[in-house]
Amino acid sequence: MTQQYPKIEFFTTREKVLAGREQTIDVLIRITPPDLDLENTKRTPLNLSLVLDRSGSMAGDKMVRAREAAMYCVDQMLPTNRLSVVVFDDRIDTLFPSEPVTNKKSMKDLICRIDARGSTALHEAWVRGGLTISDLLLERGINRVLLITDGQANVGITSTDEIVTQSLALFQRGISTSTIGIGADFNEDLLLPMAQSGGGNAWHVVEPQDMQRIFQVELDGLVAQFAHTVSLSLIPSDGIRIADVLNDFELTETGRYRLPNLQAGSALDIVVQLKMGAQAVGSTLRLLDLRMGFTPQDQNTADVVKSAFSVEFVESNEDLAVNHEVVKAVQFLMNARARREAMERIDRGDFAGAQVVLGQSIAATQAVCAPFASMEAVVEECASLEEVAKFLDNRNQDGMSRKKLAYAAYSRRTGKIS
Amino acid sequence: MGLPEFARVSEQVLSELGIEQKRGTVSLVPDERTIRYYLAEGLIQPADEKQGTASVFAYKHLLQLVAVKKLQAEHLPIRKIRELVTDKDEQQLESLLGVNASARKGTDDKEAKRYLESLLAPSMSFGGIQGAPQETAPLSPAAEAPRSDSSVSWQRVEIEPGLELHIRSDYKPAVAARTKGLTERIRTAISRYWRERQ
Repeated sequence: MTQQYPKIEFFTTREKVLAGREQTIDVLIRITPPDLDLENTKRTPLNLSLVLDRSGSMAGDKMVRAREAAMYCVDQMLPTNRLSVVVFDDRIDTLFPSEPVTNKKSMKDLICRIDARGSTALHEAWVRGGLTISDLLLERGINRVLLITDGQANVGITSTDEIVTQSLALFQRGISTSTIGIGADFNEDLLLPMAQSGGGNAWHVVEPQDMQRIFQVELDGLVAQFAHTVSLSLIPSDGIRIADVLNDFELTETGRYRLPNLQAGSALDIVVQLKMGAQAVGSTLRLLDLRMGFTPQDQNTADVVKSAFSVEFVESNEDLAVNHEVVKAVQFLMNARARREAMERIDRGDFAGAQVVLGQSIAATQAVCAPFASMEAVVEECASLEEVAKFLDNRNQDGMSRKKLAYAAYSRRTGKIS
Repeated sequence: MGLPEFARVSEQVLSELGIEQKRGTVSLVPDERTIRYYLAEGLIQPADEKQGTASVFAYKHLLQLVAVKKLQAEHLPIRKIRELVTDKDEQQLESLLGVNASARKGTDDKEAKRYLESLLAPSMSFGGIQGAPQETAPLSPAAEAPRSDSSVSWQRVEIEPGLELHIRSDYKPAVAARTKGLTERIRTAISRYWRERQ
């Protein structure tokens, strides 16, 4: 099979840029991995460990839903996939070790008996989950620990920095980590970075009944993963400067942008602001060279895709249509920053300030996106901001407000569907 | 090694790592002249030793040179490269070159397992995990939990000459589906044992 490459596209707000003045322009870089070819492609092999919290706080609806979701997971997997389940409170048990998913009924019988009790030995349970799948690592498939918890790590190693560092180290050794936080009491400052460093996804389940949907998204994502270890370098031409990259990506050791895993058929939008001097009317200038490194899921060596972006400068561009996708991408990424500012204000106890920040974001989104206000994504974005702003009126809901902000900001920056 | 050998070895390493660069303003292979230029620019540290008038280069110098070429191939400006390469120890340079994170490249598929075991080692008291991880692969979920109970006993059952099973008295036969996995695990354990003996 020949290697398929992601498509790289560049867009500016208007197709041509004004000549004769110093300016900073927004450039939307859209990276679209190829669609999953369901007929000709074998499904990515999976080697998965579910690490499930059964501490006392999970009792009731959460435990019921978590069991249901785990059983759903069993149902979705193929006999060629491997699955283990580790359950934890202050004690950790391997419900069943890593096995091919051949007898679904006996797996589900075991899951059925999980009951809630005790406190939360999150770190050790995560390590034990990793161990269950470490014996038979798939070189060209996905080896993943899926950690599901509603609580704070309070037994064993509890330091966020330590666990996040270990999660990255484990990813570099071939096992990725995704996390699912349930409700309002888990530690998003642990689970979010743990998944980001761990090369997986972070999910927030607000209501227990959403659990199965999130499992579905995670499993679909595993099957559709196109590439991991993705990094980007942007090299501006002489006289051009990168003023900002609105996604706020972390940098790799070599100063490149660390991008999320690429999902088949799901585009990643990146917005770069370029500052430049006045250009002559009618000139065409190469603004930017792009180089993206990635490791395709079905290979174990890195590959590179290169592209360059040129634009024409004109005397007037008023008559050219405004590209709504660029306007929307810029605004949504600004909103992601606003969400994080609101979180910082919540942490300082400045709830009114957080509400002001969110209010400004809503107003800006409505104003900027007015010409296409009925677009579904715009309606959802405003609703999501308004929901948290309203939530902040209720002091009992601070934990939930902060989580909603954290996860929405994360999903906007990384293009994850929540 | 002296300068000519240093140039030759680094060229070989670069081609093995698949680091290449479009011919342009910078030279494709690090010849002796290029190396002198990097020394003058401070991108490579001066050799610590001398043999007569010749400089003697070591592993660290090789890492510095390869790192410089790799970063050049990624179109980084010299200023940025200097920042990334100078004052780094061997380990930092290795990780910059990605020669540490080799698990994904299939050179050592047990690295993840050993790493995870090292994370458990300080807090876990039951024996065998660190010293002989291969022999303690769990055969049943119950074997995961530490046992202090002295009422259990072990029985040896010969499978064929040279191969015995040790069964704990409180071990319950696995359900049908798990037996299949069990067979596979035993087979894996035996072949792994053989691989490691050879």
